[in-house]
Amino acid sequence: MTQPKGKKLVYVPEDLLEEVAKASRGRGETISKFVEEALRQAVRVNKAGYDPQQLAEYFEVMQAQRVLGGAFVPLEVLNYLTNKTCREEKEQLSAKWYESGKWHGKYLKEKFENPTQAFKAFLEASRWDLNEVEIKKEGEKVKVRCVSTVLTAEATELLAKFIEGAMHSIGYKTVKSEYVKGMIVLELSEGF
Amino acid sequence: MKAGKVKRKTLVAREDLVDRLSEVAKQRGYSLYAMVNEVLELAVKAEETGVDLKRVVEERDILEAAREAGFILGLESLWYEMAELAYEKARSRALKSWFEAGVWLAKRYATGEVEDAFAAFKKDLEAFTWNALEFTIEKAGEKVSVRIISPRFTESYTVLFTSLLEGALDTFGYKIANKEISRGAIRLEALQGGS
Repeated sequence: MTQPKGKKLVYVPEDLLEEVAKASRGRGETISKFVEEALRQAVRVNKAGYDPQQLAEYFEVMQAQRVLGGAFVPLEVLNYLTNKTCREEKEQLSAKWYESGKWHGKYLKEKFENPTQAFKAFLEASRWDLNEVEIKKEGEKVKVRCVSTVLTAEATELLAKFIEGAMHSIGYKTVKSEYVKGMIVLELSEGF
Repeated sequence: MKAGKVKRKTLVAREDLVDRLSEVAKQRGYSLYAMVNEVLELAVKAEETGVDLKRVVEERDILEAAREAGFILGLESLWYEMAELAYEKARSRALKSWFEAGVWLAKRYATGEVEDAFAAFKKDLEAFTWNALEFTIEKAGEKVSVRIISPRFTESYTVLFTSLLEGALDTFGYKIANKEISRGAIRLEALQGGS
């Protein structure tokens, strides 16, 4: 079989090739151009120090943010807003964060096969004020642990409410909830 | 035979890209086949949601830039409600806080090693403000014009965000010459040195 100069053959599963053909048709491109662009981006991604799997996780996070209405806000501003409003409107604010978490959890439950894992990816990708995010499933229980060296006590409490809201929507109920400045430890069990 | 379960077909791709991807696969302990599959699966998945892979990569870069610039990603409705509460309770403190955040943000670029600090600031801020329907920062000679249209911005969020922009422009040496703000719409004109 003759190959054009400067080209190589790569193997792909037949079903994936069909999907690639469909996607490239949708873009009005040839399969070759679509594949070339995908490979180029994969090389670019590698140069930036991450792999396609990580990129896929970021993509899911960004997609969720697009759907749910995500926005960037400076951390300093968030801390100010949290501290200012939390002191005076603690209950109202906690309820809002909890409700936001519930919305998020509902979306994740609808969209992902493993919503708990997707939620962990979301926290890791978007809450970079967290130094550690651990969501561990042990039988019917799930342990959530978040550690941050920069979160204020108020922001920690609100984030804990958000996480609880999300986990409740995913289908867990709170067994134990502890939070101190910069640390959240939740224990949840199935059946909310 | 391992491959017996999955029917394979061949694709023709640019040799240099395949070679580079092959190196990447090796570094990561993947086979070229697995790597190509993963990349194409992601490209197809992105396409199905109306986004191309290039944009996905660019968005990843936005997230990274936002992290470095000290921005947090969350639900905008929550930010708006918190901004409302803070603005209602302590207007001048809230304005000061947003202004200072703008100063900090601009200083990060102004004191960094980028060639054109203002251009880098503009590029990133336009990317971070993806929730706005329209956001443009234009620099022409000694004049900078900022225009934001976002129907979802609440009144207080609009005022507070303006304060952030003012803080940033001030740090870059621009003084506000003209300001028009109304809920969801910001138009600023600033001049270098305030002349």
